Amino acid sequence: MLTFGPLAFAQPWLLLALAGLPLLWLLLRVTPPAPRSLRFPAIRLLHGLEAPEETPARTPWWLILLRTAIAGAIIMGLAQPLLNPSTRALGGGPLVLAIDDAWTAARDWPARETVLHDLLDQAERESRAVMVLTTARDALDRAPLATGLLSAADARRVVDGIKPKPWPGDRAAAAAALQDIDLPLPAHVVWLSDGLDAGQARGFAEALTRLGRVDFLRGRDSGLARLMLAPESDGIALVVRLRRAAPEGEDFATVLAMAEDGGLISQVPIAFAEGKLEAEARLDLPAEMRNRITRLVIDGETTAGAVMLLDERWRRRPVGLIDASPLEDAQPLLSELYYLDRALEPFTELRRGTVEELLQRDLAVVVAPDTGQMPAAEHNRLEAWVESGGVLLRFAGPRLAEGARTAGAEGLAPLLPVPLRGGKRTLSGVLTWAEPARLSSFDPASPFAGLAIPGDVLIQRQVLAEPTLDLVEKTWARLSDGTPLVTAARHGDGWIVLVHTTANTDWSNLPLSGLFVEMLRRVVAVSQGVSAEGLAARALPPVATLNGFGRLGPPAATALALGPEAAKENRVGPRHPPGYYGSQTARRAHTLGAAAPVLTPIRDLPAKVRTSFYSRDTEVDLQPWLLAAALILAFADLIVALALRGLLGRALSRGAAILALAMVLPLGEARAQSGGSSPPGEARALEATLQTRLAYVITGVASIDETSRAGLTGLTWVLERRTSIEAGPPLGVELTRDVLSFFPLLYWPIVPEQRDLSEIAVRKLNAYMKNGGTILFDLRQIDTGATLFGGATRATQALQRLTRRLEIPPLAPVPPGHVLTKAFYLMQDFPGRFSGGTLWTDASDKQLNDGVSPVLVGSNDWAGAWAVNQRGRPLNAVVPGGERQRELAYRFGVNLAMYAMTGNYKADQVHVPFILERLGQ
Amino acid sequence: MRQRAEQLAATLPPLLVAAERVASTVAQGVHGRRRIGQGETFWQFRQYTPGDRPETIDWRQSAKSDRVFVRETEWEAAQSVWIWRDLSPSMDWRSSDAIPTKRERADLMTLALAALLMRGGEHVALLGLGARPATGRSVLSRLAVNVERGDGPGGDLPPVLPLARHGHVVMIGDLLAPLEDIDAAVRGYAEAGIRGYLLQILDPAEEALPYDGRVRFEGTEGEEPWLLTRVESVRGDYVARLAAQRAGLRAIARAAGWTFSSHRGDQPPQAALLALYVALSATLKR
Repeated sequence: MLTFGPLAFAQPWLLLALAGLPLLWLLLRVTPPAPRSLRFPAIRLLHGLEAPEETPARTPWWLILLRTAIAGAIIMGLAQPLLNPSTRALGGGPLVLAIDDAWTAARDWPARETVLHDLLDQAERESRAVMVLTTARDALDRAPLATGLLSAADARRVVDGIKPKPWPGDRAAAAAALQDIDLPLPAHVVWLSDGLDAGQARGFAEALTRLGRVDFLRGRDSGLARLMLAPESDGIALVVRLRRAAPEGEDFATVLAMAEDGGLISQVPIAFAEGKLEAEARLDLPAEMRNRITRLVIDGETTAGAVMLLDERWRRRPVGLIDASPLEDAQPLLSELYYLDRALEPFTELRRGTVEELLQRDLAVVVAPDTGQMPAAEHNRLEAWVESGGVLLRFAGPRLAEGARTAGAEGLAPLLPVPLRGGKRTLSGVLTWAEPARLSSFDPASPFAGLAIPGDVLIQRQVLAEPTLDLVEKTWARLSDGTPLVTAARHGDGWIVLVHTTANTDWSNLPLSGLFVEMLRRVVAVSQGVSAEGLAARALPPVATLNGFGRLGPPAATALALGPEAAKENRVGPRHPPGYYGSQTARRAHTLGAAAPVLTPIRDLPAKVRTSFYSRDTEVDLQPWLLAAALILAFADLIVALALRGLLGRALSRGAAILALAMVLPLGEARAQSGGSSPPGEARALEATLQTRLAYVITGVASIDETSRAGLTGLTWVLERRTSIEAGPPLGVELTRDVLSFFPLLYWPIVPEQRDLSEIAVRKLNAYMKNGGTILFDLRQIDTGATLFGGATRATQALQRLTRRLEIPPLAPVPPGHVLTKAFYLMQDFPGRFSGGTLWTDASDKQLNDGVSPVLVGSNDWAGAWAVNQRGRPLNAVVPGGERQRELAYRFGVNLAMYAMTGNYKADQVHVPFILERLGQ
Repeated sequence: MRQRAEQLAATLPPLLVAAERVASTVAQGVHGRRRIGQGETFWQFRQYTPGDRPETIDWRQSAKSDRVFVRETEWEAAQSVWIWRDLSPSMDWRSSDAIPTKRERADLMTLALAALLMRGGEHVALLGLGARPATGRSVLSRLAVNVERGDGPGGDLPPVLPLARHGHVVMIGDLLAPLEDIDAAVRGYAEAGIRGYLLQILDPAEEALPYDGRVRFEGTEGEEPWLLTRVESVRGDYVARLAAQRAGLRAIARAAGWTFSSHRGDQPPQAALLALYVALSATLKR
């Protein structure tokens, strides 16, 4: 198999035939194409004619190219090119599958499974024996063992059972397992590696090469497992650290911070710089948020190493507050404990109690307000605790100096960073002239470096340190005159920090400032966290363990309790898989990242080993495609050859053209459809709304519709001449299809021929009437009586039928003084083509929609009276007649339009005389 | 009414309609043969001159004056015209779909000429069918049927048939046969005292040889195929040969006292028909 990047050839020797292509080119060039054949009646005249010079006929270059391409495609096709070639078992011997199943293999495990299944499929087809060997110890901590020779089906069951383990591999044991296997040699070995070397890779590879041909499969550098190291907590931010195997190139990852319930709290991007193996990022979160984090996960990576479990050590530090004297309770809001409590509470887990009570549990910091001398037992306990890594933060006060002296007298260590002078220094008071001192800026070496100092922090009293040589080094903060305010000294593994003033406002106003909180935070950050004393002392049973894919689950049955040494050395193995140990309340995280193993890519392998990469893309055999391409090209060549010889009949060419069109057309059509213009409804909506328009209902009877259109056109002209309504040409409305809400007024001539309304039309009309539209029903007949729905005429029957499902309010004849009678013109009756008909309107006096009736029913055929032709001449005679009647018809139209559009504006005008009267005018 | 319309349509096959249309446009341009001759129609009175036959004297006219008048009638002597058109396969050819085949054009010319001549009162027949020349609409219809059916002697050239003296023969074809054969055919008729007319119909491609490159030409009548590697290089020679053929045809016609003209398929048939008719009427006068 010959491989070029993602392309490989299964039969590479066939590619040698490509060398023959230039020869083919030459051959094709010198062989002229067959001549065109032509019938010609006057051939007698041609007989005997010869071309004066016989230049050899050349095959056109593009034809040569075409034919060479055909030959090339055939050769390449026969060479069986494979895109994304998967590894194939070669030779005839047994197939040995060496599978890395340590935690590092979990990333991209599906790719391995794909390869495995491909290989097993192949082995099954070829009835080859398969041997499977894993390289990690099993859950019972047994060294890896090779299976015997299995059939492919059995091997598939074995392979299906293999899952990545959440612990490191043991290739040395695997290599040892290879020593005493019995195999018909040579075998073909496929090593599905994790690409990482723990120092035993070369030996293992050599053991494999003894079996036969070895194919080494690894992920690309960017696909190698990465490790989440234990984050560093500085009390302020969580510093997340990642380690990768290959330092080449830049790389990116996203770390997700998850809560106990799996919720995402935050995420932070991390970039590996070129040449760096480690990268870190700060996760700066409010303390409450930060304390909810129990897991850090590399996004998208499913290995046990990509998960960092956090326990108490990374959570907020437990701080103990020595609460020895119940006397303080007299004025609780002024006590030091109160200030300390408020300042420490947000970012620490604060406990109060006596030294004895406090030290029973893990503590990072013990804060001691101004206390006198402790009992010797407590004193010694505290000192031992500090020496083992605790931080003792003390505050000065009236009792401090005295207590130190007493301790000295008892032969105890004073638990002070610096020796103090007796008494105190008073900077301001009733009898002093000195100004209260301010803080000077913090030394860069001090933990407080960078904190902003508010200008109003004043120190009135303090205790003074004896000047000693190392006083400067021990000083973390000083006053503007240089006297130390905060001093600290190492004591054993721990720290003793002294603030030379009180924690309440007796001696200074520092505890009132934000600076106080920040300073405490920095002091707490100095602490190492919980000293391992409490949990580490005993063996911890597993609480929850990670599986090979980094998922936390119930503890594995094979996991054993974590002993102190194993915990201290971060020994992760089959017996101590990563996870939580201890109890649900006090648990300790045991992770791969804490052990911080170095990741090294496998680089140095015996020369015989062939390396290739996993590919998630399935293998594509290009052979059929190439051969099909060759066939199509050959067909094209046939057509070209026929055309060159003139043998291609017209019919054939026409057929080919149709065929080509048929192949192209659907595409073009589809494109034309997808690239269609705006929907038709939009154009209509624009047409209806860019200008105010009167509208009529299209009844389906052409002559009536034409009359409606002409009538509304005439009315529109009159409106434009006489009023401020400048409407556009009227529009016909198809009730089922069109949107009604654009039109203030709908003219609806009733014809018996109109079909029943559809469900949609009924719904639309009801909505239209409810939302302020006005419909003028026109029965177009000489009014016959005082009833509308009597069923007397065809028109009333039609009206009844059409409006059956509409929500028509109760109707009454238009009363005298109705708005319609005075909306623009003063008029008492409303003639159209006929006069004398009754106009019915909403009888209820609900003042909905500005009091405009949703329905007007009349019978005077107004559109007939309004109708004009193109030149503005009336189309229909009015009955009984006279221009006066037509004028009145137009006046009714104007009043109607005004009524529909202005609503109760005119109704208000109706009341003006009464209003004026009431106002006493 | 409908029956008559159908009859009318039946007597006018498309080819005949086309031919009539061509003929009518030409007839308008010729304005008849207004000259004295044998016929029924009165033409003019003329003073008697010695030598006139006494039977021709119009006594009624002569009585009106002192002079003697001779009544002259319009010439109505019907002549016989035999039309032959080439039916060989070489005529069934055209170089593109846009123009008619030579055969179609020859058929159209044949019928149009027949229609035109019959309007002039001449008797027309197709050569080689054995029918006597006759005139009239029914004759024309029969002629049209014959033409459409392709009746007539095959071959490149008409057979020399014994025809009535002073008849006329019109030969329509591509006339690409060897000049000697044509000469023999023409001479055969000319020696029998028959006057004639040669109309050569050629396809534009036959005149210009508009082909390029390597072409293998095949004949339409079983000639030996001819391969030309570069047609464009022999185009000049071909055109010269064609001109020589034409010149030969013209010489043959002149020697026999006949007329020769040439027509190209992509040109309108009217011009050729007009030329043919003018030439023909000139000979018919005599």
